[in-house]
Amino acid sequence: MRDSILELSTEAPRPRVNTSRAGLIAVICLILLASLPLFRPPLFFLSLLISIFLFVSLTESWNLMGGYAGYISLGHVVFFSIGAYTTAVGMNVFGASPFLTAVPGGIIAGAVAAIVGYPVLRLKGAYFSISSLLMAVIFQLVFLNWTFVGGSTGLWYKLMPVSIGANRAIFYEVMLGIALLTTLVVRHVERSKFGAGLITLREDEDVARTIGINTAWLKLKAFILGSFFAGLAGGIYGYYLSFIQPDITFNINTSLLILMMAFFGGCMTWTGPLLGAVLLSLTNQLIVTFIGAEISRILYGLILILLMIFMPNGIVEFLRARRSPR
Amino acid sequence: MLEGIGVVRRFGGLTAVNHFDFQVEKGRIVGLIGPNGSGKSTLFNVITGFYPADAGRIVFQGEDITRRKTHEIARLGIGRTFQLVRPLLGMTVLENVATAVLYGRDQEGSMAKARGRALELLRFLRLDEKRDLPASGLVAAERKRLEIARALAIRPSLILLDETFSGLSETEVRESIGLIFKIRNELGITVFLIEHVMKAVMETCEKIIVIHYGVKLAEGPPKEVSRNKAVIDAYLGQKHA
Repeated sequence: MRDSILELSTEAPRPRVNTSRAGLIAVICLILLASLPLFRPPLFFLSLLISIFLFVSLTESWNLMGGYAGYISLGHVVFFSIGAYTTAVGMNVFGASPFLTAVPGGIIAGAVAAIVGYPVLRLKGAYFSISSLLMAVIFQLVFLNWTFVGGSTGLWYKLMPVSIGANRAIFYEVMLGIALLTTLVVRHVERSKFGAGLITLREDEDVARTIGINTAWLKLKAFILGSFFAGLAGGIYGYYLSFIQPDITFNINTSLLILMMAFFGGCMTWTGPLLGAVLLSLTNQLIVTFIGAEISRILYGLILILLMIFMPNGIVEFLRARRSPR
Repeated sequence: MLEGIGVVRRFGGLTAVNHFDFQVEKGRIVGLIGPNGSGKSTLFNVITGFYPADAGRIVFQGEDITRRKTHEIARLGIGRTFQLVRPLLGMTVLENVATAVLYGRDQEGSMAKARGRALELLRFLRLDEKRDLPASGLVAAERKRLEIARALAIRPSLILLDETFSGLSETEVRESIGLIFKIRNELGITVFLIEHVMKAVMETCEKIIVIHYGVKLAEGPPKEVSRNKAVIDAYLGQKHA
């Protein structure tokens, strides 16, 4: 069964030891992760972790709408791309560092989400998903033909005047920070009144309205917040890639990957997308490294099918059900 | 407290509610009865803003709510249940009610306080022992009480109950009659209910409004209404009258 959305239990307090111990372990893990570049690990390993941090941030932010509210978006890449394009244009036109323009990038992504979300969020279920996919296609076409942002030739970032090792270490720390920030914010939302409202509207939107929930506004808020984080992550990750082009940033596969990671981990809690992003990224990398890139997709697909059959609610729910049988 | 003036609601060529006037006085238990398809639930849906009225006005505590949105009407103090119960199945019993405290008239900001208030309501409806079960673990009669608890959690001054008694056993109906009086007497909430179980209507309601083909057929105390010829005709057909 899912953990209580409303944290505190009314009478008997939950065993505190467990949560504080989990918190301590998390903090130690984070300190270790953050100090990893000091030990000069191989560059490919840092790159892998940077990509994992990106997906943690994208999947967690996607989950605000996709998991809690049950609005499965296939257009999350749009906001990621808007963030990336903001920092690229900021650098090429105004000479501003992407580390400074990533936040405005997130804000622009949030603003676009507000405009697009207002009509699109009136649709539910598959209609919403299809519209969000179309939205991604339309934005991709616009960017492909918009010469100011490079059109189909894309945009280059100016390289940081540091060694490749230092470059990786900087991006590693910043992306770790973004992944952590996104996860903490989503975790906070999940335990707040806001999160309780989102879960209620996933369960039954009509009932949500009869208990006083302004469903339209709540959905829009979640959509904007999720898009902000996608834009923020995109702003930095674009710089890390050093070259962006619509066919790369708007890639439909990225949207699908986000969705699979969330479902794989379980999209009822903040821990699901985190686990999903980490495990699926690692699995993919292991297959590519040890078995071969040619059949990686086949194996990847096979694993997913098996998981869907045996743990349809994701790993988190699967483990929880085994721990406390009801 | 709640007043409708010439309320009209059409679905295509069908006029489900036709120039309907009604009044629900503060502190009373008022029943809305009528044969199937006579427009009872439609009227509830118009009052709560699910369907906009095509004509007429609805006034609640002196305020025109005809064009207000559903969540605004809830926050003004009108709670409702659904004819087919709609518990939030993926959430626990306590969460079902606590969310309504958070978003209802009090706009409670504290999770702990919301849970405390929700638990009080669950005790009131004798569901407190089930509070940590998922709502899907409740049986039909309990689901109905959960639905009422959720409606009460927004701290309404008026509650609309849509067929709370249907499908209940004899004993459960008896208990529910007691519950309706408790809601009015102990919580001071005005009750407007739709009902098919005549025994329950006759025992609880101080006033009954009869609707038939969207038009008001009769109105008055239960005894009067039950002797009304037009009402008997509508329910049993002219032949038997």
